Amino acid sequence: MSIVTSSRQRAREEGRINRPRRQGLTDHQLALAMVLPAAVLIIIFAVYPFAIAVWNSFSEVDINTGATNFIGLDNFQSVFTTPAILASMGRSAVWTLANIVLQVLIGVAVALLLNADLRGQGVFRGLVLFPYMVPAIVVALIFRFMFNDVTGVINFGLQRIGLIDEPMSWLSDPDMLMTTIVLVNVWKYSPFFMIVVLARLQTIPQGLYEAVSVDGGGWRHRFTAVTLPAIVPVVLAGMMLRTIWTAYDFDLPFLLSNGGGPGGAAVTVPLEIRQLAFEQQSIGQASALAVIAAILLTGASYFYIRGYGRVVKADQ
Amino acid sequence: MSTVDLPGTSPVTGGTSTTHRQRRLSPVRAAQYVMMAVVLFFAVGPLVWVVINAIRPETEIAAYPPKLLPRELTGEHFASLFGLYDFGTYLINSFVVSIVATVLALVLGTLAAYAMARFDLRAIRAVGELSLVAYLIPPILVLVPVTQILFGSGLGDNRAALAVLYTATLLPFALWILRPYFSGIAVDIEEAAMIDQCTRFGAFLRVVLPQAVPGLVSTGIFTFNAAWSEYLFASTVMTTTSKLPANAAIFLLMGQMGTGSWGLLMAAAVTLVTPVVVLFIFAQRWLISGIGDGAVK
Repeated sequence: MSIVTSSRQRAREEGRINRPRRQGLTDHQLALAMVLPAAVLIIIFAVYPFAIAVWNSFSEVDINTGATNFIGLDNFQSVFTTPAILASMGRSAVWTLANIVLQVLIGVAVALLLNADLRGQGVFRGLVLFPYMVPAIVVALIFRFMFNDVTGVINFGLQRIGLIDEPMSWLSDPDMLMTTIVLVNVWKYSPFFMIVVLARLQTIPQGLYEAVSVDGGGWRHRFTAVTLPAIVPVVLAGMMLRTIWTAYDFDLPFLLSNGGGPGGAAVTVPLEIRQLAFEQQSIGQASALAVIAAILLTGASYFYIRGYGRVVKADQ
Repeated sequence: MSTVDLPGTSPVTGGTSTTHRQRRLSPVRAAQYVMMAVVLFFAVGPLVWVVINAIRPETEIAAYPPKLLPRELTGEHFASLFGLYDFGTYLINSFVVSIVATVLALVLGTLAAYAMARFDLRAIRAVGELSLVAYLIPPILVLVPVTQILFGSGLGDNRAALAVLYTATLLPFALWILRPYFSGIAVDIEEAAMIDQCTRFGAFLRVVLPQAVPGLVSTGIFTFNAAWSEYLFASTVMTTTSKLPANAAIFLLMGQMGTGSWGLLMAAAVTLVTPVVVLFIFAQRWLISGIGDGAVK
């Protein structure tokens, strides 16, 4: 910036910029004017609501007027003593963990495959990325159709190849539902890791692999000595973002389970938050649950960031 | 993304790039092609299946065991979707809201990202940090207060308000992606333009912006796709059925129709995914670099 200002001053001294005063916003004013609209929107729709959510979590809130009445930690206490809410937290833990583990494993494996110099890999890369772009409602429609108990093509296919004898109730059996929505979510979001890891793999200099080969290392050695250290940082960074987004994902579990599923078997924390707020009209409890989730995920992020720092440092 | 075109290495096979090109097709290579085929089958198969079922009659869809290829093609599902169920209205709602949100997010995001990349002021740094925090605040956390704010100010059930709300939720992402683009554009040319009688802002418009077009395209595609796919806010802050975006409308349809009309639902799925496919084909290279940028930079 200093370069720019100085050159501008120089230009002004040379008398080339001679403008009426009102057009001449200073750089400071211009800069502030440029960020202002974005800042205002972000404050109105993200920061301020977040502050309200925190305040609501300590209050009893009238759903019609929005009037609040401070009640301290009561909402938090009831969150931790209501079995349905605790159950949603348990489901969220399973949902998030299963998703992240599967997505990382599949994402890394496919990224290695996409980087293996196969013919037609340009097309592969494009097509494999595709599920990531499909809207959640379309994903829900697709898989509600395919996982359909009676005429669904997945039951048919699995019976045909002999993996199952009877049609399975993928979406109507409460014990099965979570597995199904995890599988579908993995289908949609694994491409995220594929792309992130692939981008990193492509920056590894060929020479590093050759060096290991020259030293007599096999493919396993090449993987642990070169590939793995290179991709661990990006995988960790990706895991952090995906952990947050998966834990908070409302759309896919809600739409695929048709609003929570039989017996609420797919009611994770986000679904529970909306249910508490708009069906049970307990905004205070909904907010308390949201705040608890935010604290837990901030904690999780901290561990990722620390792990990331350690890996990057060890690398240098 | 020049790196995309570099010859890949093959850490898994252990074959160096020279040896496996000379061999006809080693077992490892063959296995890799088979795995690739399996991955493709899983990635694309479901979409193909949906398209097939959107254009075959209901009797064929319900037939068991299912036939892979349609015996008879029909447009009846699309016809009743747009005729009987007035899907066009919802689609227009979706288009208008998504396009307005995308354009606003791009314009405001570009202005702010440029200022952040060029001016090192305390207030601007604070906005940068704020937007990073906002990027990590998920919709479900602010859903209840945002609903209160909108309905409290008489802006509930309003498509323009929904578009502005989307803009606000997309802005942090847009800033995150766009800022490095502007940092990467040399200041020299701006200075040159300013010496040639341009204002600072004029230099930004005429000289800097054209160079940032790839960044703007990839950001635009992502923001459009996010707005196009959004369900949670749309279904909560819109209460009049005719004002609903298509996502929320389909979910209502799904509830009303049950399983007797899969053809119609598949037609809706195909219709809703088509703009995404078009964008996707149009901008594949940008997308691939975009996802990487958003995640790790």
